[in-house]
Amino acid sequence: MTDRTELEVLVVGGGAFGTTLATLLARLQRRVRLWVRRKEQAQEINRQHTNSRYLPGFELPPELKATADLEESIRRTPVVLMAVPSQSFRQVARLVGDHLEGDQLLVHGTKGFEIESFKRMSQILREETCALKIGVLAGPNLARELMANNPAGALIASRYEEVIRAVQALFKSSPLRIYGGTDLVGTEVASAFKNIVALAAGVADGLGFGDNTKALVVTRGLSEMARLGVAMGADVFTFGGLAGIGDLMATCASPLSRNHQVGERLAKGEGLEQVLQSMTHVAEGVPTTAAVHRHALSLGLHLPIVAAVHGLLYERWTSQDAVARLMALPTERELAALRYR
Amino acid sequence: MSTPARNHLLTDEEKEKVLVEVVQRVLNECCQDPQQIERVLFDTLYEERRRLESDRNKARARLQSAFYDDLYHQALRASSERQRDLLKAIVQFFAEEVAGHFDPRVYALSTRIVPTGLSILLNAMSPIRLLQAIPSGFKKLDDRLLISGDLDAVRKMAKLGTVVLLPTHCSNLDSILVGFALYRLGLPPFLYGAGLNLFDHRLIGFFMHNLGAYKVDRKKKARLYKNVLKTYAGCTMELGYHNLFFPGGTRSRSGAVEQKLKLGLLGQALNSYIRNLIAHKPAPDIYVVPCTINYQLVLEAETLIDDHLKEAGKSRYVIDDDEFTKTRRILEFTSKLFSLDSRIHLVFAPPMDVFGNRVDGEGRSLDHRGRPIERTRYVLIDDKPDFDPQRDMEYTRELARAVVDSFLQHTVVNSTHVVSQLVFRWLKQRAPEMDLYRLLRTGGPEESLPLTEAYQLAERLLDRLRALASQGRLRLDDTIQSGDAHHVVTEALAHLGSYHRRPGVVRKGDRLFHADRNLLLYYQNRLAGYPVDQEC
Repeated sequence: MTDRTELEVLVVGGGAFGTTLATLLARLQRRVRLWVRRKEQAQEINRQHTNSRYLPGFELPPELKATADLEESIRRTPVVLMAVPSQSFRQVARLVGDHLEGDQLLVHGTKGFEIESFKRMSQILREETCALKIGVLAGPNLARELMANNPAGALIASRYEEVIRAVQALFKSSPLRIYGGTDLVGTEVASAFKNIVALAAGVADGLGFGDNTKALVVTRGLSEMARLGVAMGADVFTFGGLAGIGDLMATCASPLSRNHQVGERLAKGEGLEQVLQSMTHVAEGVPTTAAVHRHALSLGLHLPIVAAVHGLLYERWTSQDAVARLMALPTERELAALRYR
Repeated sequence: MSTPARNHLLTDEEKEKVLVEVVQRVLNECCQDPQQIERVLFDTLYEERRRLESDRNKARARLQSAFYDDLYHQALRASSERQRDLLKAIVQFFAEEVAGHFDPRVYALSTRIVPTGLSILLNAMSPIRLLQAIPSGFKKLDDRLLISGDLDAVRKMAKLGTVVLLPTHCSNLDSILVGFALYRLGLPPFLYGAGLNLFDHRLIGFFMHNLGAYKVDRKKKARLYKNVLKTYAGCTMELGYHNLFFPGGTRSRSGAVEQKLKLGLLGQALNSYIRNLIAHKPAPDIYVVPCTINYQLVLEAETLIDDHLKEAGKSRYVIDDDEFTKTRRILEFTSKLFSLDSRIHLVFAPPMDVFGNRVDGEGRSLDHRGRPIERTRYVLIDDKPDFDPQRDMEYTRELARAVVDSFLQHTVVNSTHVVSQLVFRWLKQRAPEMDLYRLLRTGGPEESLPLTEAYQLAERLLDRLRALASQGRLRLDDTIQSGDAHHVVTEALAHLGSYHRRPGVVRKGDRLFHADRNLLLYYQNRLAGYPVDQEC
């Protein structure tokens, strides 16, 4: 097998997560390049070694080179890591697909669904590129903590051993420990869904509730996540791993989480539009809630936390309304919906 | 192995060459160390002796038992080298049984005979009587068997590389019809794996032996046997012989379009492609062509659905006492086929490469956006084509998914499916608390539905099916495409009420009575996998 650690990797997407992944790889002396859409951003990264819009306050390693030329940077690059928001994912994937070859490995770290089609990102990659060897990188990976070199863990899920081995080799010796898995569906559902639960946890914090409430939101959110995942063909155990409970813990507890921030500010009385306009980053949980809610209805799945967050975001419910409706629901056997799947 | 002209099937000389290659490859794979040799040898002997205990052909069982008993006693005291020789004897035996034989004279005769109508083929024993019936038979079968799809593409792929044809499977008549369709397309006969039970059929067996069919004994459970089978198919593909196999493995018991495919044989297409690349063959490409066979009436419907229900999904793999074994039933079936103006649709779906990507008219692989793909790159390791078993298994799964999607897209829905679906759904709605088996046994609280309601339900279902068809998600028979509900129901009643021992549904006055609910389940299952309940 080719030793991928000796080869180049291209990170597509100059947002916080993409820049962070590229930074970790550059610190490991991997020959990495970062593709960004805007030339000015590439110049800033290459000359000033900063990404002031998405990672203010952090200095990037001088070895990290950015480019706005996709064709030149993608050709013959053995691993392509995509970290772009879900709602522009297809468009960028199509650009990548113009230049990709069948032997290249394609991994994404995007946490969301395509709203209109409810497609997972790996499905979009399959539709927009010729890549078959596709993987997803997921887990509790808050960009700022990774930039600070704090120890962390992530999951690379792929049906192809080659993808798992290549990504593990790329991050070998970094503070980011990469575990392998094969459940692509479960991993993508978990990492998209956790943003909805983070919104709900943010609401709980915004309303001044304590840790008991948050624990309730997180565990019942996890149950809903697993219910949707299993209905889509996922392995239920995936939700107990880094992409499921792991990511939930980080996202729901951390004030760094954008989705948590949105929930908290909504609970404190700000309007959705106002909150979103003030953010430089994309809060994936907002479009994901709409997509999941619609899909759950079509499948006949009962996902009350999703319905409550949807009400809050799109149906003019107040946060108090949402809490009251959730608390009024009858209690069922805790794991009934999963046990008898 | 070099690539020969592809206008014939294996000659004796080529067969010999393939046999040597098969034996060598299988032995290489299973004789890597003494422990493996011993394990494979004794596992195979165990499976084979166990199989023979229930073999109904006593003469054959006695002969084979003697062979295996002898090997077993020798194996107990044999050195590893000797055990390898014993294993080789078994592999040789399997390979010779599997290998087909093609006689061009029989092929020429049979391609003229088949069109005369299956009844004549299966009834008349005199070649003179057969030949006399040829002109009208051709016309009759052409009227009944509607061959459609990407026919030019199939012909082109057969010239550019090796074609692997993958039909859906619901009747033992399938292979005969596909054979005829290939002949009508001007293609050479394809090699195909047919169940051993077909070779036992008095007349069909004769043609099977000579049409390039190789034997698949589904009662043989030994892994070694399956390896021989797969390797045989792979070797013939590498030699450039077009292959045909039913990827569902057996006839669909439930009546549904196959959703789970057997990956072992399917994987041989990729395996052979990689071998061809490694060997720098001038025409290394292998093209996969899914194909759907769609009947308004299925000869063996009653037996198949009974088997599906009895075994609760774990169907008997070999049924050797069904309608196909009874000449009278075949006659009744063919007679109904013609008297009811029944149509059989055989659709050749667009070809794809061994990774499931569609290909254009020049055989180039295309991605979903129509951009060309250099497909050799999928199998490169360190810039050279090579095997990676885990990767290749996943590629085969990709191919299987693409084939299943293609099956669904190119299935032709007809009136028996539509009316069975609407009656069965009506039954379920009337008895929501009943489980499937009770519903099938009792029929629920009401024994008939008003015809007017049936027309309304049919109209609604037709609208949904037409919407799905306009999105390219399935195909429709002419009656479904343009007929009104009255026409569809009438045609279905004529079919469901005549050939089968008990009618699925019958009209009495202004009501439809459900009689054989198993049959309704069977025909309505063809629509499983389609969102007919949802608004399109």
